[in-house]
Amino acid sequence: MSDIKKLDGKVPAGDIQDKWDNHRFNMKLVNPSNKRKYHVIVVGTGLAGASAAATLSELGYQVSTFCIQDSPRRAHSIAAQGGVNAAKNYPNDGDSVWRLFYDTVKGGDYRSREANVYRLAQVSNNIIDQCAAQGVPFAREYGGTLSNRSFGGAQVSRTFYARGQTGQQLLLGAYSAMMKEVGKGKVKSYTRREMVELVIVNGKARGIITRNVVTGEYEKFSADAVLLCTGGYGNTYFLSSNAMASNGSAAWKAYKKGAMFANPCYTQIHPTCIPQHGDFQSKLTLMSESLRNDGRVWVPKAKADKRAALDIPEEERDYYLEEKYPSFGNLVPRDVAARNAKQQSDLGKGVGSTGVAVYLDFADAIKRDGIESIRAKYGNLFEMYQRITDENPYEVPMRIFPAVHYTMGGLWVDYNLMTTVPGCFALGEANFSDHGANRLGASALMQGLADGYFVIPFTLGNYLAGEDLINQKVDTSAKEFDEALTESEARFTKLLGINGNKSVDSFHRELGVVMWDNVGMARTEESLKTAISKIKDIRADFWKNVKVTGTADGINIELEKANRVADFLELGELMARDALERKESCGGHFRDEYQTEDNEARRVDDEFCHVAAWEFTSVDKEPIRNIEELSFENVALSQRSYK
Amino acid sequence: MSSENLMTLNLKIWRQKNNKEKGEIVDYTIDGISPDASFLEMLDILNEKLIKEGSDPVAYDHDCREGICGMCSLMINGQAHGPEAETTTCQLHMRKYKDGDTIVIEPFRARAFPVLKDLMIDRQAFDDIIAAGGFVNVNTGNPQDANAILVPKENAELAMDAASCIGCAACVASCKNASAMLFVSAKVSQLALLPQGQVEADERVKNMVLKMDELGFGNCTNEAECEASCPKGISISNIARLNRDFLKAAVTSND
Amino acid sequence: MASSMLKYATSSVVKKQVMGVTGLLLCGFLISHLIGNCLMYLGPEVFNKYAHALVTNPLIYLAEAGLASIFLIHIGLAAKLTIENNNARPDKYFVKQKTGHGATFASSTMPYTGLIILVFLILHLLDFKFGPLHTATYGGVEMRDIYKTVVDYFQSPLSVLWYIFCMIALGIHVSHGFWSAFQSIGFWHTKYTCLLQCLAKVFAVVITLGYSALPIYCYLQGGN
Repeated sequence: MSDIKKLDGKVPAGDIQDKWDNHRFNMKLVNPSNKRKYHVIVVGTGLAGASAAATLSELGYQVSTFCIQDSPRRAHSIAAQGGVNAAKNYPNDGDSVWRLFYDTVKGGDYRSREANVYRLAQVSNNIIDQCAAQGVPFAREYGGTLSNRSFGGAQVSRTFYARGQTGQQLLLGAYSAMMKEVGKGKVKSYTRREMVELVIVNGKARGIITRNVVTGEYEKFSADAVLLCTGGYGNTYFLSSNAMASNGSAAWKAYKKGAMFANPCYTQIHPTCIPQHGDFQSKLTLMSESLRNDGRVWVPKAKADKRAALDIPEEERDYYLEEKYPSFGNLVPRDVAARNAKQQSDLGKGVGSTGVAVYLDFADAIKRDGIESIRAKYGNLFEMYQRITDENPYEVPMRIFPAVHYTMGGLWVDYNLMTTVPGCFALGEANFSDHGANRLGASALMQGLADGYFVIPFTLGNYLAGEDLINQKVDTSAKEFDEALTESEARFTKLLGINGNKSVDSFHRELGVVMWDNVGMARTEESLKTAISKIKDIRADFWKNVKVTGTADGINIELEKANRVADFLELGELMARDALERKESCGGHFRDEYQTEDNEARRVDDEFCHVAAWEFTSVDKEPIRNIEELSFENVALSQRSYK
Repeated sequence: MSSENLMTLNLKIWRQKNNKEKGEIVDYTIDGISPDASFLEMLDILNEKLIKEGSDPVAYDHDCREGICGMCSLMINGQAHGPEAETTTCQLHMRKYKDGDTIVIEPFRARAFPVLKDLMIDRQAFDDIIAAGGFVNVNTGNPQDANAILVPKENAELAMDAASCIGCAACVASCKNASAMLFVSAKVSQLALLPQGQVEADERVKNMVLKMDELGFGNCTNEAECEASCPKGISISNIARLNRDFLKAAVTSND
Repeated sequence: MASSMLKYATSSVVKKQVMGVTGLLLCGFLISHLIGNCLMYLGPEVFNKYAHALVTNPLIYLAEAGLASIFLIHIGLAAKLTIENNNARPDKYFVKQKTGHGATFASSTMPYTGLIILVFLILHLLDFKFGPLHTATYGGVEMRDIYKTVVDYFQSPLSVLWYIFCMIALGIHVSHGFWSAFQSIGFWHTKYTCLLQCLAKVFAVVITLGYSALPIYCYLQGGN
């Protein structure tokens, strides 16, 4: 097709070690006295949003932040448990910026942009310094220095942590930095606001329309740049480890206004979640994968074995990970562990009342190390498990199953984190840039903070100064704002007016089942085609039969949900389409047709060593698949193997 | 799940259309509740039923549903986050209840937290308190190497205990005086225990306490209901630390 | 400067600290008063002479003024705090239940026990300090026979019961107030706070029993 564009990632020239330094020197600067004349909108106040808002305000920009929760501190970054990676090499175990870079590129299955990953590894150390200075209570050694642990199968201990609440502590650090600016009157924080439209004037992002979810009012905000820090779209699957309000709508509005959406099919499925227990279930709870350090994964050897776990003798148990991957055993990467669990359950060897789970057994570890040692390591996780399932994991094996956890795909951004809409930037999980096809444990927190604290402050200035926006002020009286407001208002009115007979959640659940069954851990051409056609049907049904109670004014949670589900119903289709077109397996995208003899993901580097960046045409027309070629000059392409 | 375990419950829920109108307790009966459902899933099921009937579903705050975001609230039978110790409402499960139980569900109440609708409240006051001083005034840039600041392990642990506050406001809700001392003291303590927070310790404690008073919270009477209902088990020893630090700051203040 | 002093003095934290400190001072007063009372067991002469020495000491006015101001501050602040606390939650709960691990009966009834003690205090002053005047002469010195006033007063079982009731209220009040004062001024320690809480209970029992024993003793003395 001649329409296909080749996107330029705007990667600076030079050796990979020097790219970011050179670029920082070459970028244009905004005069200090002019910074206060620029207004920046930050949508979302998670790690990326809060850190960006704080830093930009410190530099002198006027910043407005928006979040859907009642406080910026509630963003879902807060739920990350494990830790944050950095190449400090404090434990003296051979880590370096280069090794973190190398591991991240390899872990991403060679589908990330090398230069971005290198920059991420470079600034990772600054993140730790910054957070420590803010008073983030990282775990410490007796001598008072910072403590590290090995995480997610990494060969070095580079993960910094604050008990099992690292995400919470880093977010509260970024939040407090942002609130310090709020206190000074330099950041204006708007809570319980949902961004419902991106406003584009003269081809540049110049503002947003929000809906105040308390009053139902639509509000117009103009700015010189818009930063989308709105997280991922894992909730397309209905059940995921994401928070209930996590959604893809802000990114989706940007997509429909011209920002390309990259690699939507890359979905990370976390292997150690508490399995689903009933149809009424609203979300899945993740348990830190550190559990796999001591737990042994197994299923009964016989199919449909309904005996209780403790009644199944040792010789009738299948420790499938240990057998298949003798060197890594239970510590294989997330995607491998997850896919194998699904395979076992598909074979009819799943356990529990639903048959959709595998055991994670601590009996041997308890025998070996003693119950107290296990309690010290995992006490809080065991407690959480027992609270949810009413089973005591010290006595019976845990039941676990994979769940959607993180989306590597997102808005396409160049090296400067700018989307294909000038002035619209995407940070954190909302963009696609650093994790390739699979994200390593403890890297999400690193990326969110790297983007917000250390990348955007430079690249945004370069954009603002380069475009001479100071002489092109736009305010909310521009007709584009009224048009966008009318457009979004009409959409909400339409949703309220359908008055069908099915609840919003029932559509979301239906979509979730289609996504999980067909665009889940193992995808086939057939399943993806089925998904596309089924999603189209659900979408048509939604716009005919959804029932949204209440009115447009005041708090109407059903209306908020309906708006988000309407977007998921389009986004899900794009995910399936991207998965269908990517005729290879890599990281979080596994196509049954493309696997090695050992059932590992088989990449097709000749054809797919690129980013797919989808361009919106119209809801009912197929989007255009543009590409950005990826080149690996520093880390040689190789097949992952965890045998 | 065998169906004989399913429960029928009588719910008495606070319904209030908006901030301006008066609310009232409304009775609902709901059946077929599995003991494995979480408390919020039980409310989801009620809402699904209300939507089918064409009535307005019950509005309540919730988000992560894993006990860390601090969004969920609810007074359940007169207890903040329900009967289970160190548990948020979203982590409370219906197996705590029996078939035929009556459950009264109300919003967290305090002058500083107006009810927005039904069970949703406005906790902006907490953000205002943090903005008044709950931070270390360090700009993003190039602070010294993280290991240049040594923190005794014991202090790091105590700081982490305090820092685990999720800002849910159960402390205010359960305090008979609607005092916010546990929330404020948790942040003051976290930063007071770390060398990073020392520089501004006096200013911080003064500003946060004065802001708290200004927002209309009550006074602490050392009952420790806050500690007992805190989903993260934050200790009132933090309140003592705040009291001490405030006194010192006020006495030695130059202004 | 003055305005900022006022700002800190009227802050919730300092108000509680003043409550705590005045409360502790009043605890001190309770002990000294109790010791004085115990002299009654030694007979009228010892007690009356002690009382006489006390009231004829020129420093008594200063001491009484100090004590009165401590009382007034404690009571006035209590009223202010109670009103503020009440205002902090204008809409009450439909149902409110204690966790069972925080509030105690003593802690949740502080304003009520305080009020009982206030009423008692007023009546106590009227009954004794400003009560029936009898005189006695020892060694040529005429002085007030306060011993008789007390014994007479406690001839009524109702008076005895009321007195004991108030002393129980006082005990309950101090059993929370005593350790709570330390918490308010910022004293907290893993070991010693527990100890203080125990000490508060012991103190409460000593005060209640100590003060209640006297009316019973007087009543049993009969109308001699």
